[in-house]
Amino acid sequence: MSNPVYRPNRRALLRGTAAAGAAALIGTLPARRLMAQDAPAKPAEIIVRAWGGSWVDALKKGVSDPFTAATGIQVRHDLTEDNEIQPKVWAAVAQGRVPPIHINWDTTTNATKSALRGVTEDLSDLSNLANTTELAKPVGLDGYPIVNTYGYVYVLAYRPEAFPDGAPTSWKALLDPKFKGRIALYNDGIGFHFPAQVAGGGKLEDIPGNMQAAWDFIAQVKQQQPLLGEDPDFTAWFQNGEIDLACTISTNAREAKKNGVDLAWTVPEEGAKFDTDGLWIPKGLPENELYWAKEYINFAISKDAQQVWCDGLGLPGVVPGLTPPEDLVGDPSYPDTPEEMAHLIRISTKVQVENESEWFSKFKEIMQG
Amino acid sequence: MPNPSPDFRYPLRWRLMDGVERLADTLWPRSMSRHTGWLFITPAILLVGLLVLGLIQIGDASLRVLDTATFLPSEDWSLTNYRKALASSTYLTVAWRSLSGAVLVTVLTLILAFPYAYALVRVRKAWIRKALLITLFLPFFIGQVVRAYGWLIILGNSGMVNEALSLVGVAPMRLLFNYGAVVFGLVQYMLPFAVLLLVPALTAIPEETETAAGSLGASWPRILWHVLLPMAKPGLIGAGLVVFTLTLTDFAVPAMLGGGSQDYIANAIYDQFFRTADQGLGSALALMLVAAGSVLVGLVFMVFGAGTLAMGGRK
Amino acid sequence: MISRSQKIVVWSLVWFSIITLSLPTLVVLGASLTAGNMVAFPPQGLSLQWYEKIALARDLQQAFLRSLIVATIATIVAIPVGTLAGLALSRFQLRFTTAIQVWLMLPFTIPLIGSGIGLMLVFGEWHVLGSLWPVGVACAVINLPFIIWSVSSSAVALDPDLELAAQNCGAGRVQTFLHVTLPAVMPGVITGSLLMFILAMNEFLVSLLLTDARIVTLPVLIYNSIRSIITPDLAAVSVVFIVIALAAIWLLDKLVGLEIFLKSK
Repeated sequence: MSNPVYRPNRRALLRGTAAAGAAALIGTLPARRLMAQDAPAKPAEIIVRAWGGSWVDALKKGVSDPFTAATGIQVRHDLTEDNEIQPKVWAAVAQGRVPPIHINWDTTTNATKSALRGVTEDLSDLSNLANTTELAKPVGLDGYPIVNTYGYVYVLAYRPEAFPDGAPTSWKALLDPKFKGRIALYNDGIGFHFPAQVAGGGKLEDIPGNMQAAWDFIAQVKQQQPLLGEDPDFTAWFQNGEIDLACTISTNAREAKKNGVDLAWTVPEEGAKFDTDGLWIPKGLPENELYWAKEYINFAISKDAQQVWCDGLGLPGVVPGLTPPEDLVGDPSYPDTPEEMAHLIRISTKVQVENESEWFSKFKEIMQG
Repeated sequence: MPNPSPDFRYPLRWRLMDGVERLADTLWPRSMSRHTGWLFITPAILLVGLLVLGLIQIGDASLRVLDTATFLPSEDWSLTNYRKALASSTYLTVAWRSLSGAVLVTVLTLILAFPYAYALVRVRKAWIRKALLITLFLPFFIGQVVRAYGWLIILGNSGMVNEALSLVGVAPMRLLFNYGAVVFGLVQYMLPFAVLLLVPALTAIPEETETAAGSLGASWPRILWHVLLPMAKPGLIGAGLVVFTLTLTDFAVPAMLGGGSQDYIANAIYDQFFRTADQGLGSALALMLVAAGSVLVGLVFMVFGAGTLAMGGRK
Repeated sequence: MISRSQKIVVWSLVWFSIITLSLPTLVVLGASLTAGNMVAFPPQGLSLQWYEKIALARDLQQAFLRSLIVATIATIVAIPVGTLAGLALSRFQLRFTTAIQVWLMLPFTIPLIGSGIGLMLVFGEWHVLGSLWPVGVACAVINLPFIIWSVSSSAVALDPDLELAAQNCGAGRVQTFLHVTLPAVMPGVITGSLLMFILAMNEFLVSLLLTDARIVTLPVLIYNSIRSIITPDLAAVSVVFIVIALAAIWLLDKLVGLEIFLKSK
């Protein structure tokens, strides 16, 4: 019912930010390049892989639309999952073909795999990198084969209805018998391994050497018959009243809440996994397209683009001085103080990349058993 | 321009046909006639050969081990991936689940498909027949994923079935995300295929055969057991093989209705290819699945004959 | 002739099938009419807003057109290949039959992910990815057994003596094939090609690996959208699909009659 009122507003807003963004973009491009003849030829469009739903909406509003407004280059969003584009890009590079996308919006862990494999372009020469926090730099890699663009938290999302006495304070809430069959995790356990290590009485320093505490805790959770799924499943399950508790990325919980699902989230006392997403460019693009793909990423880490994009996602960006969205001020899933950051669990990308498949298969072994 | 000559001419179609026949005789002389079967089968063999070219690539990948420091496959070949897959209890569980699930789904689908096909063939009113056919075809059009989503709404904890149950005082129960839900979803998906493959076999059974058996005093279960089922055997084998192989390799239904803990082999392969980027292990799993499936198909062909396929050949 | 108990057993099983086959379709139909933002049944208020939304979505329409092209290519490739193979297997004595059968069942025994990855590598090596025809060919390959089987099972109806009779009366080989053999298996060809078309129209897993954003097909687009959140517009797309399918079936009924699926001769 609010749609007819809401839509024009949103569009008006969009136009406003696009104009502002365009101004910012022109400001960030080297004037010489824009004016002079030697700026490489513009492609008609560039293809950016993105996650759908609120994710791509935020990117479009904050980065793609302003980029198009400033350069005239159309941006096409490829909504193939990050996991599913990976073998396509790898095969294209291995076979010397032009890759199917210009820019991959990817989890830092997945992107690091591509970087290690050597299929990413170096992005060290982006001018806007100078204004970013250390979060933008991928840990354990030389240069910038990826640029991180924001951080996010795997929160404990819950239905307030099921918690009349207030938010759950510990991940151990998952073990409460009354939630048997009403809890959910990602189907590879991503985001849950580290808090499980703490909740199971283990130490974070022991990762990856000794994770017995995590596996014991996960085995206990298995007794609770958790549902295992991916982002859309969580939304559907919360919406249909299938589950009361889930470990999921705060953005999904926020999106479900916006769609009318009664939902809240918290960072329990054991902490929660903090990770980053980033942008990268696959090798094998024609010279001019590579240039404009780089300009896109350069713009994406400008303050104006970050403000709008990260607002849409409800996540903290990599440029200092961003204003958090109103509904997330003081929210633990939007860490913007050192204390909040200290409470979160951050494990080096290198450790994650090298051990992830072990962890996934261990998790599967427990869950499928 | 038509030839104005008063001479008698064969109609154009005849002349055309003669030309085609002559062409056929030149390209494929009659002496080659006994090889015509091979001529007919070759395009299909070549087309499927595309998949085999792919399998060769996959076979190569399956012999290389992923190095997680560089995320590149190893240069040299080894059987490590196969060893890893065979030693894992997870894959054993998953393989057993796929195999037993495929058998169960095949049996249940045939039990439902047989009466459906029978009704289609025997029903006298044309509109009922058409309605049955349309019911069969429509589910194809909402696709597997959207269809599975429909089931979430119907069978969910607060879904239609549980609502209905609560009216008669039954507490809501978990109908989804278990082995049963996956089997049910697969049966529903496979049913139209099975019916379509059974119909020709049933059409070939003259209604008089049944009538004759009946007039000799056989009860209908006896007619079913001693007349209908044996005569429909080729169709049942054909439909059964298709349902079995498609179920064995299915991915979408276990992923969506299994709640993540009811994986089939295809889901495990998916995870290796797409989630952990271990294409070597994924390839090894895929090849073992193809081998197992092919061996089973070959056995069925040898033991039961090729069902619908061999009828001409066996005469 | 048919006993009461037989009738009850047969029709209760048939009704069970009818309900299981139709329920999800009905739910999706209902969900597409919702006035709310979520897929739910019963819908939260009635509205056509989601149809309005997809009517304006150009990417959906283009993807739909591409799917039509892919399905057409798949069917055109599959009809001759599948018909000939079906005839070869049912009408001719071939050696190594079991090996051939196992080979021709590969499209079903290879998991679709394997077929997709394999074809992506093969077509990639040939540098033909990026156009629609490889997708069409791929859809023809992965569903080929369906048309082979429908043709060969309808070949049961063909009496080999008929072919001999035709040749005795002086018909050439091509003529016999066109006027005796082919009409006999026509129901199988039609069922098979319809299945090929429908399945190619809905294929998402292999197509996902063979398309890119510029040539994405409708099922891939739907699959990708569902990965993040499922909204009622996707239900609306499915309903449009169903309506088009119904129209096609109606047309087929008018043109050749649906009975063709059941005819034995």
